Order: sequence, then structure tokens, then C-alpha cells
Amino acid sequence: MTVATATGLVATVDVAHEASVRRIGPRTDGADLRVTTGVPLRLAILAGRDPDSLAAARAAALGACADIVLTLTAGPHASFIDRASALRDARPQAALVVTDAGDVAGVIDLVEALRAGCIGQPDPPALLVAADDRSRQRIAYCAVPLAVEAIPGPDTVQAREAIVARLRGMRREGGDVVLRDEAIESAARSLAAATSRSTLVVDVTGASTSLAFANAGTLLSAHSHLGVGAGADRVVSQGGLDRVRRWIPWPIDAPALLERVFNRARWPDAIPSSPLTLAIEMSLARESIAQLLREAERADLDIAAMRRAASIVCTGALARFPRAAQSVLAALDAIAPEGTQLIARERPDELLAAGAIASRSSADVTTTLEPLALVASLWPKRSTSVSVTDERGSSVERVARGSLLLMPTSGAVELKIDAEPALASAPALAIGVVVDARGRPLELPPRDAERLPTLGRWHAALATVPVGGSAS
Amino acid sequence: MSWRYGDWSTTHPLPIGASERAPVGKPVRAGDVIAAGTSYGSPVRVGGARRLGLVADDLERVMRVSRGAEVERGAILARTGRRFARAVSAPIDGRIAHVRADGDLELAPVVARWSVRATLDGVVTASSDSALTVEGGAWGLQGVAGYGPDSVGDLAIAVDGPRSELQPSRIDVRQRERILVGGGRSGAEAITRAHACGVAGVIAGAVPAAGLRVVYGDDVSAHGGSSRGDVPSVLCLLGFGSAELPSAIFAPLVAFAGSRAAIHTASARLFVFAPANAIEVSQHSPSLALVTDWGTVRPIEGPAALSGDVTFPSEITAAAVGTADGPTPAANVLAFGASRG
Repeated sequence: MTVATATGLVATVDVAHEASVRRIGPRTDGADLRVTTGVPLRLAILAGRDPDSLAAARAAALGACADIVLTLTAGPHASFIDRASALRDARPQAALVVTDAGDVAGVIDLVEALRAGCIGQPDPPALLVAADDRSRQRIAYCAVPLAVEAIPGPDTVQAREAIVARLRGMRREGGDVVLRDEAIESAARSLAAATSRSTLVVDVTGASTSLAFANAGTLLSAHSHLGVGAGADRVVSQGGLDRVRRWIPWPIDAPALLERVFNRARWPDAIPSSPLTLAIEMSLARESIAQLLREAERADLDIAAMRRAASIVCTGALARFPRAAQSVLAALDAIAPEGTQLIARERPDELLAAGAIASRSSADVTTTLEPLALVASLWPKRSTSVSVTDERGSSVERVARGSLLLMPTSGAVELKIDAEPALASAPALAIGVVVDARGRPLELPPRDAERLPTLGRWHAALATVPVGGSAS
Repeated sequence: MSWRYGDWSTTHPLPIGASERAPVGKPVRAGDVIAAGTSYGSPVRVGGARRLGLVADDLERVMRVSRGAEVERGAILARTGRRFARAVSAPIDGRIAHVRADGDLELAPVVARWSVRATLDGVVTASSDSALTVEGGAWGLQGVAGYGPDSVGDLAIAVDGPRSELQPSRIDVRQRERILVGGGRSGAEAITRAHACGVAGVIAGAVPAAGLRVVYGDDVSAHGGSSRGDVPSVLCLLGFGSAELPSAIFAPLVAFAGSRAAIHTASARLFVFAPANAIEVSQHSPSLALVTDWGTVRPIEGPAALSGDVTFPSEITAAAVGTADGPTPAANVLAFGASRG
């Protein structure tokens, strides 16, 4: 394999999309690495009553991009038959069993239900058991003929990484495959190390959504099979159609939107050729990220740290909207960051390819980015002054509560906000400085009559879509 | 490739509680029962090995009924000893649903019975408590998504042409146990009326997604989903909303009218049991285009050619295909049989 270094040869990477592959690198005869989303892994979580154990198991599943098809907890909530039937219907390929002290009997009931539900399957689920030795032996005895693998309890970072590695192994199709979520994490780590800034990489594709936050050697990550393409119908079924519809700056009724989402879900790599379909894709991207953030929160991941990341890097479909401002607005709406951030996006698939290389060797990831905007999120009690200095000089704007403001810049930028001592700086930006005083959590009026003008103002502020024009 | 005559394979997952199933090698016809069983109510846990003073591994030796057996209340389930006998009897009518590793029994009352029917004329090639597989020859057509239970019946055309919508007024009980071909669109009203009239299933170019939610609930997905309940069987051939059927798809459906057919919803396939030489099909798959607003799938019947890069109203620049309706992104044009994710 060609080994990539910052100064040496560059490996060639094939990045798989829904129905196509893009090659990044100098070779034309083949690729050294392939980046794919991997085989979907259907995972059942069987846990004791301790909510922390359950959250830790969820975090491990999110880290491994496993599809949680069923979660069962010990306790008298459901009958043995209901649980066994649910497990039969869920057809898990793996079951993550997490016990806690005093609840082993309850977990054994769940394992018995798994055995009853999955008996006779040609490919029975792998049983990954996090328990002390004695409990694990009891579980293994009850699980026969299912094979039991011992795994560490998912409540420490190292243990979670071990579980994630095991589950990812089930998703990997071959030795030269780097899973997309692995590449994203690797890119986040490399960027954080190279820039010495906490970095959140946000990746949305047709069939996956990833969040990877790296800061000083720590990594928080969550991945799911929500997306703007094949995963679009999941976004709607999990979050509700109205959550997607609310971001579209034109009136569209729910049935019409659902039709479009379903058709997109079954049309790999479809291109949004009209402003309306582009707006649908942007809405799906926002909700994919927002839903993943909610799932990460349920898994006790530190969402606040992600929202305070110094750099936010958009990749995948989120980075490929025709206007850079569209990527910025979608990221702002979905993540609702706090403080001041630099938002950048990858050049098509380049950061991902560099991340894939960095997962095996070393790679220069910083050259794959295009800085877009310096974003300051405020919630001032009264209107405040924001001053921006770039190569054309200084300019000052008054920012009122609830507003969204773009200050185009040229060359390197310094940003000073009244009443805040810190000075933020950024290299040359594609868009400029964005001041977001819309407040957190970001709320949209429920009624179309108020929502559409609000969205129209936001889109007009960043010049994202021709809101005054037609949707078609 | 659209229509194809060949060997197909269908897998039928079984719910828990199977009591009989066809063995490997058994010839079956579409519609034959290949597995049957019972649905359970809340089970009762019956002390087994411990109550008999045995280790769990020895329970099997003293069981008087087999696992899965249906028993009446009071029936002896297991018994040890002769002069000083110990016995475990059934506290309720039911079936032994599960024998636990510790030697206890889960005895569950029977609340309903279910059966699974073949959707191919062929031979059972795999049979286990969790699934059966049948393989056989038939004319087959791959759709995009199937919903509801599998169905078997004679094909009947219920529309005037490939673009027409299936009208509820054209459905009545005379179409009972038939599979209706519903043209370019079948709405929720037509589907539910067909189900109420005993129609086995509905095939259409497209079904409105909101209509699917009305029929199958809000969890319905674009990827289909088979179910065992008393709900309609629907096969979407092209997409959602409306989708005129290409003539290469519709004409054979007309030719097959009256033939025995089956919908296998898990694989979203229609099988027609007719001789291999019953129709002549083109070797080329018709092309389909996702229209600009993604609301409709349209066949490209006329000539179409790549027309270089075009900047679309969304400001995205991409390779385009020139059609009678103007340029369409090349990515939004697919062959009928192309993988749809």
C-alpha cells in the first residue's frame, strides 16, 4: 500500500456514495483504501435497570453506527412471550448485554427471551456480554447454543472503544475498507491535533449522519443511518414529518412532502434540481443532525462540548450545497452552536479521504478545508455592537436580539463583540462573519403564517436560496 | 431487465410458536400452507427441574410431553420416580413455549393460530423454526416496495391504461381473491376498499406515501415492510405519488391477466405462474426519471441522450439527460431494474 505522509506519497482512496464512487488521489488503476458506510448492523440492547448502563450501551451503539432495532430492560414491563416475539421480529445480528449489580436475574430473563426468539435462525445473533465473571458464566449457561463473547462494561472510554471496534468489525466488508464513521473520527482527531482547536466534524450523506468531536486527545462520536437519501424516510419516521417540513421556506403540505421524501429515499444519489428539492435536502440534513444530537444526549454524551467546539467542519452532502452559505445555515440551525466558531467545509470528499488515510498512517488534513464563516452566537439583553476588522478596514454593526446577520469580509478577519473581552480571529473566509442572535434553543413559530416570513428573513440574511422566487 | 422468467427464491420468516412446517424437498404451490403455528398469550412459568429435584440437564429425560406440545390443564408435563413420584402438571391449557436453561418451563396459552403460505410454485429448500425458503420458476417483476402480508390470486386489470388511477368505484366483491393491477396510482381509498371486498392484493406504479400512512400507520417506510395482520397487500412498482407504468411493464401485465400470481412483500416482487414462452419481453429495461420536484416517477419512452453539464434552477451543475420535458440530472434517470438502495 502507498503510505501517505504530509510530505511523501499520497494514497488513493475510493469514497463510496449511495450508488457511485469518487476516487481521491493520483492513481487511476485502483485505490489503496475504500471508504464505505459498511454493512448495516442490527443490534439489540439487553440491559439491567440502571439507566447509566443503558445510556452507556446506547453510546457504544452510536459510536459503532449500529442500528438499535430493539432495547429491552430488565423489569416486569413485558411478558416473556412479548419479549421473545419482539426479538424474533427485530432479527438482531448482535445483542449487547449489559448487567449491573443486583439485576442479573432480570438480564437472564432477557437472554432467555433472546434464545426463545432466535432459536433455529441460520445466523443467530452474536451475544456480547458486559458483566463480571460470575454473571457472565450464568448468562452463557442460559444462552446455549448462542455464542457468548466477553466485553468490558461500556462505562469507561477505553471499554467503549473496544466494544465499538468489535461492532465495527461486524460491519466491515474487507480489509481495505475504512468505514465512513472511522474516517470521520480520524479526520476530527487529526484536525484537532493539527490546529490545536476543539473540532466538531459533521457529516451527512444519503444514508448516514455522523458527529465526531475531538479535543486534546479526547473523542466523542455518534453515528446513525439517518440521512438525506436512503435514510431520509427514517428521519421522517423517527422525528416526525413536521420537524422536516418546518425548515422549508415555502408552503408545502405534509402529503406532498412525504411523497418527495419517500421517492428520494428510493432514488440513490438523486440530485435536487429545483430550489424546493434543495430545500428538502437541507431540511433533511438539519433534522438528521438534530436527531442524532438528541440520541447522543439520551446516551449521556457531552453535547454541550460539541456545541462549544472552536471549529465546525461540514462534510458529505452538508458540504456540497451549491452555496457555501447554505452549508453554514444548515449547520447553524441543526447544531445550534454556542460561543464563537469557525465553520468550514471539506472540498468534495477530500477530508474524508485524508481521514481514511490518517486512520492507517498520517495525512495532512488541513489543506482539504475551505473556511466559510466565523460565527458568533449571542443572546444580548439589548442591542450590542459587533466590530469586524479585515483587510478593507473595520466595520461596526448593531445586533438586536433575535436577528441573524452576515458581514461579508475579505482576507483575514478579527471579530470583537461588545461586552466580551475575547477577540476572535479567522483566516480568509468564503462568506464572512455571521452573527446569530436568534437565541438557544432555536425556535420556529408553529404556524406557517409566522414561520415562513421568519425563515424567509434568515435565508435572506445569508442569501441562501432565492426565497422571493418560486420553489420549482 | 424488467420482466424475467427464471428461478426465484422467497424466504418466509416465521413468528414464534411454529407447530408444523414443510420439510426440505417438499414440492409446494403458491398459496399452499407451508408453516402453521399458534400465537401466545402471557405465559406462566412452571417450576420444572428444581421441583422434581433434578439438575436442569436431566429434565429432558423425564419430560412426558415434548417442547412445543399443546397440553390441557392438569396434564403431566414431567414426572420422576415410581413409588414416591414427583410430577409437574400444567396449571393452564396451553403450549410449552420454552424450556429455560434452569429447567423451568414457560407454558403459554394459545390465543390465535397463524399460517404462512408459499408465494412460489417450487420446492422448499430450507426449513427451520425461524424461516422457510421456497425456490421455483416463475415470471417475476421486481418492485420498489411491498407492504402487508404476502398474497396469492389471479391477476386482474382494473384500470384503462398504464397512467390511470385505480378508482374505488371499479372495485367490488367480484374481484375477491384477485390481485388487481392499478395503473399509475392507487390511493388509500382504493386500497382499503379492495381489502374490504376481499381483493388479495393491489399492484400499482405508485401509491401516495400519505395513503400508505393511512393504511399502515405512521411508521411506514419507503423501504416497504411485510406484516401478518389483517391489512391490505400492496406492491409499488416504481415509486410514490404517481408513476405511469412503462409499456414494457404494463403490456405483459395485461397479457398475464387471468394468470395465477403472487406478491411477496418482503422482497417486493410479483410472481406470475405462466409458461416461460407466454410473453416476449424486451432485453432492455425501460428508463425512469424522477421528475424535478421528486413528486412523480415518469418513464422515458422516447429518445434520451446525455447533454453535458447543465446548471439547474437549484444552482447545482451536473451531467444531464435531454428528454422531451427538458434536461433532467443524469443521476435522476435509472433503468427499471437498477438497484434502488
